[in-house]
Amino acid sequence: MPKRVHVWDIFVRIFHWSLVTGFVANALFTDPEGNTHKWIGYAIAALIVLRIVWGFVGTVHARFSDFPPSVSASLGQIGEIASGRRHIHKGHSPLGALMIYNLILALIGISATGYMMTTVTYFGVEWVEEAHELLVTWAEISVMAHIAAVIYESGRLGINLPKSMVTGYKELPEE
Amino acid sequence: MTAMPDRSNAPPDRSKQLAALIFFQGLCALYFIFDVLRDAREGDNLHLLPEVAATIGLVIGIAVEVNLLMRMLRRQQHMEQGLGVAAGALAELIEDYFTNWGLTPSEQDIATFAIKGYSIAEIAKLRGSAEGTIKTHLNAIYRKAGVPGRAQLVSLLVEDLLRAPLVPAKSSLQ
Repeated sequence: MPKRVHVWDIFVRIFHWSLVTGFVANALFTDPEGNTHKWIGYAIAALIVLRIVWGFVGTVHARFSDFPPSVSASLGQIGEIASGRRHIHKGHSPLGALMIYNLILALIGISATGYMMTTVTYFGVEWVEEAHELLVTWAEISVMAHIAAVIYESGRLGINLPKSMVTGYKELPEE
Repeated sequence: MTAMPDRSNAPPDRSKQLAALIFFQGLCALYFIFDVLRDAREGDNLHLLPEVAATIGLVIGIAVEVNLLMRMLRRQQHMEQGLGVAAGALAELIEDYFTNWGLTPSEQDIATFAIKGYSIAEIAKLRGSAEGTIKTHLNAIYRKAGVPGRAQLVSLLVEDLLRAPLVPAKSSLQ
C-alpha cells in the first residue's frame, strides 16, 4: 500500500486552479480591451498577493521557506534524473520551485503592466504594451514547460502529480 | 560507510556556469525561433535560410551542452559518497568500462555503488527504488560486463589498476 501524505492545503489548490482558469481565460479568450479581461486581471493580481502572504503564514509545504530558490539543489535534481535516481520531494521539488517563482514574478509583471495600461499616464504608451505582451508570451512558454515537466516527473517518479493538486495528497510508494 | 559531502571533485561552480549558459542560450534560441516564425509568415524567404541554419546550429549547441551538463552532474552524483585520493583517475577508468559495456545511466549509478561496496538495501535507499529493481539492474550489469558477480566486477577494475599507474600523467588525460 502506498503511503498517502497530505501536501497541498485547500488554499494552495484553489489558488492553483483559479489561476489556471484566469490565465487561460485572459490569454486566449477575453477581449484584451474589454472589461472582463480587466476584472480577471485584477482577480489574478489579488490571487498572487494572497499566495505571497500564504507563503509566509500558510501550511508547511505552502511556505516559501519550504522551497527556497536554489540553483545547486536544482542541479542536484537534474543529476538525479541523469543517473536514474528517484527521490520524491513531499512538497515542491527544487526545479518546480524555480518554476513557481518564475511564474509568480511573470504574473506580477503582467498585472502591473496591465494595470498601467488602464491609467491615464501610461494609456497607449508603447513600451508598456510591449512589455505586457512579452511577459504573457514568456508566461505561456513557462506554463507549457510546467505542464511538460509535471507529466515527465509524474512518469519518472510514479506519482500522479496533477491528481495531488486536486486531492491534496501525494501517494508515495513504500520504502 | 561514511559520506564525505565536503569534498567535491568537479567544482559545482562549473556546472552552475554551464547551466547559466544553457539558460541564456535557450532564451536566445527562443528569440530566434520566434523571429524565424514571424519572418516565415511574412514570406521573406531569402533571409530565412541562413536564419534557420543559424537557429539549428544554436539548438544543436545547446543539446551538446545539455548532454555535457548531464554527464558532469552524473559524475558529481557518483562522487558524492567519496572514493578517496585517486577518485579522479579511478572514476575515469570506471567510466570507460561502463561506456564500453553499454550501461544505461541507471546501471552506471548502481554499478558505481556496487563497486564501492554498498549493499543492495543501501543502494535501493540511496536511489529511492525497490530492492527488486536494484537486483534486476545488477544482473543486467553483470551480464553486460560478462562477469558472474560483484566480486569479479571489482576484480576487473583492480586488475587494471595493478597493471597501470593509478594517476596517469596530465598529458595523457587530455
